[in-house]
Amino acid sequence: MAAPLRIKRQLAFSPWLFAAPGLLVVGAFVLYPFVSTLVNSFTDRRTLVPGRFVGLANFRELLHDDMFWTGLRNSALYVLGVVPALVVLPLLLALLVQKHIPGITFFRSAFYTPVVASIVVVGLIWVWLLDERGLVNSLLETVGIGRVGFLSDQWLLLLSAMAVTVWKGLGYYMIIYLAALANVPRELHEAAAVDGAGPVRRFLSVTVPAVRSTMVLVAALSSVAAFKVFSEVYLMAGPGGGPAGEDTTLVMLVQRTGTGLTGRVGYASALSVVVFAVTVALMLLVLRADRGEER
Amino acid sequence: MPMSRRALAAAAVALVLPLSACGSGGDDGGSTDASGKVEGDITFQTWNLRANFKPYFEGLIADFEHQYPGTHVKWVDQPGEGYADKLSADAAGGTLPDVVNVSPDLAAPLAKAGLALDLDKAAAKYRPEYLDGAWASHRVPGMNGTYAFPWYLNTGPLFYNKALFTKAGLDPDQPPKTYDELFADGLRMAEKSDGKVATLANVPTIEDFGRYGVPLMNKQGTGFAFNDAKGVQLLTRYKQLYDAKALDPQALTATGESAGKKFLTGAVAMNPGSALDLGNFKKNAPSLYRNIGITDQITSTGHVNMYVMGLMVNSRTRHTPAAVAFAHFVTDARNQMSFAKKVAIFPSTAGSLDDPYFTKEDGTDETRVRIAAAKSLKNAVNYTPVLFSEQMKTALRNEVAKALQGKESPQEALDNAVKAADRLLQQG
Repeated sequence: MAAPLRIKRQLAFSPWLFAAPGLLVVGAFVLYPFVSTLVNSFTDRRTLVPGRFVGLANFRELLHDDMFWTGLRNSALYVLGVVPALVVLPLLLALLVQKHIPGITFFRSAFYTPVVASIVVVGLIWVWLLDERGLVNSLLETVGIGRVGFLSDQWLLLLSAMAVTVWKGLGYYMIIYLAALANVPRELHEAAAVDGAGPVRRFLSVTVPAVRSTMVLVAALSSVAAFKVFSEVYLMAGPGGGPAGEDTTLVMLVQRTGTGLTGRVGYASALSVVVFAVTVALMLLVLRADRGEER
Repeated sequence: MPMSRRALAAAAVALVLPLSACGSGGDDGGSTDASGKVEGDITFQTWNLRANFKPYFEGLIADFEHQYPGTHVKWVDQPGEGYADKLSADAAGGTLPDVVNVSPDLAAPLAKAGLALDLDKAAAKYRPEYLDGAWASHRVPGMNGTYAFPWYLNTGPLFYNKALFTKAGLDPDQPPKTYDELFADGLRMAEKSDGKVATLANVPTIEDFGRYGVPLMNKQGTGFAFNDAKGVQLLTRYKQLYDAKALDPQALTATGESAGKKFLTGAVAMNPGSALDLGNFKKNAPSLYRNIGITDQITSTGHVNMYVMGLMVNSRTRHTPAAVAFAHFVTDARNQMSFAKKVAIFPSTAGSLDDPYFTKEDGTDETRVRIAAAKSLKNAVNYTPVLFSEQMKTALRNEVAKALQGKESPQEALDNAVKAADRLLQQG
């Protein structure tokens, strides 16, 4: 009777042993920081000073903080600017490189290269290109347009950062679309072609409906990433967030407010909670829109 | 299922134990008494000095360990960028080194958090060895005490491109000294180059306001005051520079690094820097190096800004006597003097600036610059308010940018900056 009991005990305990490493990592790097941020958002904690409970004071303060609204506006604009481009352009790119012709692997790799390149390196290269005396401005001056303040104008800076995000993300989403396109039955295209549908009609009536769920996935992933944008804007607009901080995004504001020896950890945590809430809302919105269309 | 509940409890304990370690700051620190035996292992952190002065510091540490057998100094060096973040992470995690290289504005929050040893108590006997002003530079308004040994001082040279000055019809041997001269030369250079060459790549900082003669804080030290008529005048004149493109169009987003690059490429004519930059010019911009001019900071008060470096002793060190002895050893007159002979910095120890090294001409440009800098250092002022935090710098920078863009008047911008800085000051 003893032996089966021991086996039973081992079976009961062993799943936890297997899960322990994962649980530890998730606990230490996801759950604990999350709960800690949530708790801190109700305190006036600073980097070196333990905080007191202040209730909703941080959240009330951010309603009156101009920089918060600037950050929210810029992050929202980033979503509006980047997501449609990242839903449509990689699909077109995937259609382009889907064809099995000699040398296509080279183009697939080339389009994917920006994805694996370091964002810091990529950001700096774009800063050099778009500088007042950079390659792009020299070209514009040569053709008579004159120099454009890509890195000194508030809106052009934001647009430039969006362009870099789109350029860098194209390859990643292209791969996702390629996987989806591989599952579209060729017979559907052939049938549509027999019925007289041209390439545009086939794209709209066959390809798009077939990859619709992938488009929703891409929209969800890219909208969350766009709302949380940091590196591109930080590198191109500088740590101050562009002229007068007008290009600051919410995550940049969290970093600027909460770090350093005099960082306002409590207030930065409240900002983080807002970023989290908006991100979740964005996901739900995209999924809901998808479900609505399915009905 | 008693077993699975136990397993769950074990997993929870396993999960929580390491986490509880993260939260503890470890306030089981040492004493303020530095009179015991000098022994034990200590850690010494410098700020971006390893790349250029590795042999000097290794020699210094070997000398100390030889003088005090039973001590061992571990030297760590942190890069220039993000130094405050590294300090705050270490301070919050309870891993701050025993002896830390700080500037007064970095020492202040650490002192307020009780992490800096009060040297007026622990090392009062060493005080007469240092210049009075230098010793006082690590005091914190609202606190009684001095929180770091003064180390090296610098005024920081202002580099200018002689070729660009000549091109604009300006005398390359007469660079501007005051803000009036700077604004006049800047406007002329912009006009002559059709807006292609700016004189400066940076917007004015709090130190510029100080050197223009603007009172930075009220007399009680309880609030900021740089929004007075003189401050508004300075910002108004900077706006004229910006409008005339005498200030680089990207100045509003410039960092120290990007401004340095603009100077390297000849897009701007003047840029503040350090003695280390000369090597960089020689290597990366030989034509600029051939035309480089070195002058003192622009000032309308007759005083240049003095940058003070200090060595703070961690109040929680387990080896207070060794940490204090080492911080004093690094900053004593002999070792500061030997450091000053390696790079263009100046000792903060009493009498060192009267050494022939800082007073006697030998006909070389290098010595001439050194003597001039040592002379200006004698009446230099540390214009950076100790309590002016990074967040306050950002607030000022943003408001200055709004004024330069014409979105706010200079008066409105400075009023807003003072309001924001005062609010942050009150929040502690």
